[in-house]
Amino acid sequence: MMAFGAFTKFAAETGPTVHIKPQTLFDVNGWPITNSMIFAWICSVLIVVILIRVARRMTIRPKGGLTQFVEAGSEFISNLLEGALGGKEKALKYGPYFATMFFFIALSNLLGLMPGVGEALVYHDQPFLRAFTADLNATLAISVVSLSLVQYFAIRESGFIKHLRHYFAGKLWNPLTYFVGIYEVFGEFIRLFSLALRLFLNIAIGEIIITVFAYLGKNVAPLTDLPFLILELGVCLLQAYIFVMLSVTYLSLAIKHSDDSHEAKEDVKYDSLTEMAVSSSS
Amino acid sequence: MLYLSEITGSLDILGKGIMMGFGMIGPGIGVGLIGASFMNAVGRNPEAAKYLGQILVFVAVVELMALLVFASLFIIK
Repeated sequence: MMAFGAFTKFAAETGPTVHIKPQTLFDVNGWPITNSMIFAWICSVLIVVILIRVARRMTIRPKGGLTQFVEAGSEFISNLLEGALGGKEKALKYGPYFATMFFFIALSNLLGLMPGVGEALVYHDQPFLRAFTADLNATLAISVVSLSLVQYFAIRESGFIKHLRHYFAGKLWNPLTYFVGIYEVFGEFIRLFSLALRLFLNIAIGEIIITVFAYLGKNVAPLTDLPFLILELGVCLLQAYIFVMLSVTYLSLAIKHSDDSHEAKEDVKYDSLTEMAVSSSS
Repeated sequence: MLYLSEITGSLDILGKGIMMGFGMIGPGIGVGLIGASFMNAVGRNPEAAKYLGQILVFVAVVELMALLVFASLFIIK
């Protein structure tokens, strides 16, 4: 612990260094390569290697080790999809994308907590690695991909006109329909930015909090940081779950409208549910 | 004799403090209300405890506002 204290003393001289933006390390043909991009490449290679290895070793009776965690994770995602979309068939259809997203976000969040990521390794006075999800460009890209795929799936499921009528619901001669429709289309963009900002802010602010408490702790920095590191471990997995959960919810909202035109059926369902609740409570 | 014009110092720190204080009120109340209604629901029907995952999603939706306030600390100069 004393060794750690000696290292943090250097940081304590200048105050905590906090970055919100990723830093450009070098240019390739005028394209800036930032530290979060390098981290993302490492992360993608790692996840491809791990998942291919695990898929090769997949047996009916799991041998334990890493396979177990991957199996538990993908089962969790498929259960989540089954609950949200209704039916195992649809869950298996849309499962691969969301499971990939979950594992990628979880891995890049968790690797961001590793020592060496952040201010430790320096390249030309810039931190060499930065957590991929602690970069607004990255999370914006992830959510753009997610929500475009949701739109694509919805159009494939119910046709373009029907999907458009999902936003412009109601009678077409009524001008209010168009106001509500434009409002709904704006809502889609609000979803996009809120998805991106939520993931980015959670991870970036987690890093800032860890930095600030390492600075405040001075010689006992490992002790003051420990609770926040444990909190961040939870937040990392939770944010991956929340991102996938919210995109699945958006997908289910976009898909489900194709068979909700009969409201009488819904009423019957509701009545039977309330009856069940009343009878179970009494 | 006290003259207000003689008070110096950086107003941005004061502004950041006020922003942090007022900005955290709303999300705090929001998360509290979500937790209270979840505990109410579990108290009435213990089987509702399985919806904890969905509650965490709503907590994250509210938490975004608090995180925006926190991030503004580093953006405001």
